[in-house]
Amino acid sequence: MTFWWLAIKDMLIIVRDKKAFLTLVLMPLLLIAILGAAFGDIMKQDEDVSIEKFSLGVANLDKGPLSTVLTNEVFSKGLSKQIKLETYQEERLREKIKNHQLSVGIIIPPNFTASLMSGSETSVRLLTVPDPGIKATIVQTVIEQFSNSISIEVLASRLTEPVNAGNQATIDQSKPTSESIKQPVLKEKTISAKTKPVGSFQYYAAAMSVMFLLMTVVQGVTAMILEKEQDVYKRLLTTNLTYTNYLSGKMLGLMMISLAQAFIIILGTKLLFDVDWGSSIYGLILMTFAFVFNACGLGILAGSFIKSEKVFNVAGSFGTQIMSALGGSMVPLYFFPDWVLWVTKLLPNGLALQTYLDLMSGATIAEILPAVAGSMGLGLLFCAVGLIRLSLGRRKSYA
Amino acid sequence: MNMLKVADLQKSFGNIAAVKGVSFSVEKGESFGLLGPNGAGKSTTINMITGLFPPTSGAVHIKDIDVIKNTKQAQKLIGIVPQEIALYQTMSARENLKFWGRMYDLSGNMLEKSVDEVLEIIGLTERAKDKVDTFSGGMKRRVNIGAAILHKPELLIMDEPTVGIDPQSRNHILETVKRLNTEGMTIIYTSHYMEEVEYLCKRIGIIDHGELIALGTLQELRETIGDHSKIVFTMEQKELNPKHLTKTLTSLFLEKDIHLNDNQLIIFHKDPQLVLTDLIQLVTKAGTKVTSVDIIEPNLESVFLHLTGRSLRD
Repeated sequence: MTFWWLAIKDMLIIVRDKKAFLTLVLMPLLLIAILGAAFGDIMKQDEDVSIEKFSLGVANLDKGPLSTVLTNEVFSKGLSKQIKLETYQEERLREKIKNHQLSVGIIIPPNFTASLMSGSETSVRLLTVPDPGIKATIVQTVIEQFSNSISIEVLASRLTEPVNAGNQATIDQSKPTSESIKQPVLKEKTISAKTKPVGSFQYYAAAMSVMFLLMTVVQGVTAMILEKEQDVYKRLLTTNLTYTNYLSGKMLGLMMISLAQAFIIILGTKLLFDVDWGSSIYGLILMTFAFVFNACGLGILAGSFIKSEKVFNVAGSFGTQIMSALGGSMVPLYFFPDWVLWVTKLLPNGLALQTYLDLMSGATIAEILPAVAGSMGLGLLFCAVGLIRLSLGRRKSYA
Repeated sequence: MNMLKVADLQKSFGNIAAVKGVSFSVEKGESFGLLGPNGAGKSTTINMITGLFPPTSGAVHIKDIDVIKNTKQAQKLIGIVPQEIALYQTMSARENLKFWGRMYDLSGNMLEKSVDEVLEIIGLTERAKDKVDTFSGGMKRRVNIGAAILHKPELLIMDEPTVGIDPQSRNHILETVKRLNTEGMTIIYTSHYMEEVEYLCKRIGIIDHGELIALGTLQELRETIGDHSKIVFTMEQKELNPKHLTKTLTSLFLEKDIHLNDNQLIIFHKDPQLVLTDLIQLVTKAGTKVTSVDIIEPNLESVFLHLTGRSLRD
C-alpha cells in the first residue's frame, strides 16, 4: 500500500498548490474559451474564402440516377462556382490527366447506383496529377458527403490514383483500364456513412485538452525530479518502498491528477461551451484513461532518465511544444500529410486527439479499441523502461 | 552482539575510488561517531550502509542481515536522518510524520500512537498541525529526526543532524539522541561539531580520503597523539617565511607536531607550560608578530588535525 499513500501525498500537494490548481484547471478552460472562439471565427472566415474554380473531368460508366444526380445536380449545379464539369470517355479522361490538361478526374463505375441502392460496396475512382492540392480533397469530400447523404447503410470506397505524366509505365494505354486501376498507387479507405463532421470549437476543445494534459504530466514529472534532487527521495528509498512501488505511486498520483483535470475540462467544455464529445461516453472514458496512462508513462520514463529539474524544465517545455505541434494541438491535423498523421499516432497526444476526433465524428467504442490498446501498450512499455532505468541508476548513484 | 558490521567496503565511480576498504563494527546499543571532512567518503559509506547503492566490493551486515542481498529486510531495522531536511514543506508536521510512518507500513492506531509519541519526543505536539514551511530551522530538524524514529528502528543513522540551527534546538536534539541511545537504540552519528560527537559517542571512527584512519574511544584517539595539548599562536598576518619558521621550531619539536595554517601556528606538546617560554622566544626571534597564544587540552579536533593535517571544517 505504500505506493497508494505516495500517490495520495502527491495529490494533496498539488491540490494545496493554488498556483498549480489555477494552471491545471482554470487556465485550460479559459484558454479553450478564448482559443475556441478565436479559431471558430477563423474557421468561419475559411468558409468564406473563395477557391479558384477548377475543371473536374468525369467518366460516367454508370447510367443510373444516382450518378446523374452526383454529376449534374451536385457538381454541375451545386458547386458551379467552384467546379466546371467536363465529361469524357474513360480513356480520354486518363489521357487528359496524364498530360496535365486536367488536375482531377473521377471515374464512376457501372454499378454505382445499383450498389448504393443495394447497400453493397462501390468505389469512385479519383484520378489526379501527382500534386493536385486542395482540388482532390474537395472532390473527395463531396463524393463522401454524397454517399453519406443517401442515408443508406453503405460503405463508400474510393480509390485515389495519381497519374504521373513523366512515367509512361504508370498507365499503359495498351492494357484495359480496369487492370491498371486494380493497383492502387496511394490508398483505399472506407468512411462510415454515419460520420459526423467535427466543428472547429470541438476540434480545439479536444486539441487544447490534450495539450494541457501533457502540460500537467510535465508539471508532475518536474515535481518528481525535484524530489529526486532532494534527500526526500533518498529517505523514500530507505523505507519499505520498492522501486516498483515508487514508480507505481508516482504513476498513480500523476494519473489521478490528470484524470481529475481531464474530467473537469471535458465536463467544463460540455457545460460551458456545449462541446459534443461524441455519443460513446464509455469510449471517451476509456480513451482518456488510455491517453493519460500513455502520457504519464512517457513522463515517468523521462523522469527516470533526467536527474536535474533545470534540464527537465527546458526539455519538458520544448518537448511539450513539439509534441503539441506534431499532435495537432496547434495546426489542425487535416492539414498534415498522411505519413505525418501516421507518425503522429506514435505520440500519446497525437493518437489521443485523432481518437477524440473519431469519437466526436460518431465512432463507437469498438472502433477506437485499437487506439486504446496502442496507447495502453505504449504506456506500459514506457513504465517498464523507466523501472529498469531507475534500478540501474541506483548502481551509478553518488553520495 | 554486532548491530552493524562493515567489512572491507569499497566504492569506485569510474576511476575515482570514493571509499577504499573501510571496516568497522558497531555494537548493539552503542553510539558511534563517524567523522570526516567533506568529500572524505563518509556519506558514500553511509549510503552503502543504508542500502541506497551497492558497494563495488566488501560487505555490510545489520544484525547478520546482508544489506546488499536483502536490502529491504535490513532497511526495516534502520532509521535515517539525512543531512538535508527530507520533508514535504506544504504538509503539516503531523501529516509528514503520518506519511513517513505509512512508508514503513504503519497504519491505524499503531500509526496514530507512534506519531503522537514522536511529536512528544521532538517537542512539537502543540505545533503538530502547522505546515513545516512555517517552522524554524531547528524545528524542521526535529521533525526530520522524528520521521526517522516512527517505526522504532534498532539502528539510527544521523548525518549532520544539527547543521545551521539555534543552540536551543541543538541542545534539544542532542538530549533526544542521548535519550534514544539510553533507551537502547544504536546510534551512528556524523557531525562537524566535535563537541557533539564527544558528548554523544563512545567510539569514534575518522574517515579521510576514503579510508578509516583512526578508530577507538575518545581516550584511545587522544592517546594516538600522545595526549598532547594544542598550542595555538595567532599571528598578526600570514607568515611570510613559513619554511624558515618551521626550520627554527624543529630544534625544539618534531616536524609532525608543527602545523602552520594562514596566520595560525599550531604546536602539539604533552606539557605546554614547560616549553611555552622557549617557544615564544623562538617565534619572536624568527620575526613573527604574535597577537595571542591559546593552549587547548587534547580533544577530537586536535586528534583530527594531528591525523589529517587539516581542520575538520576544511
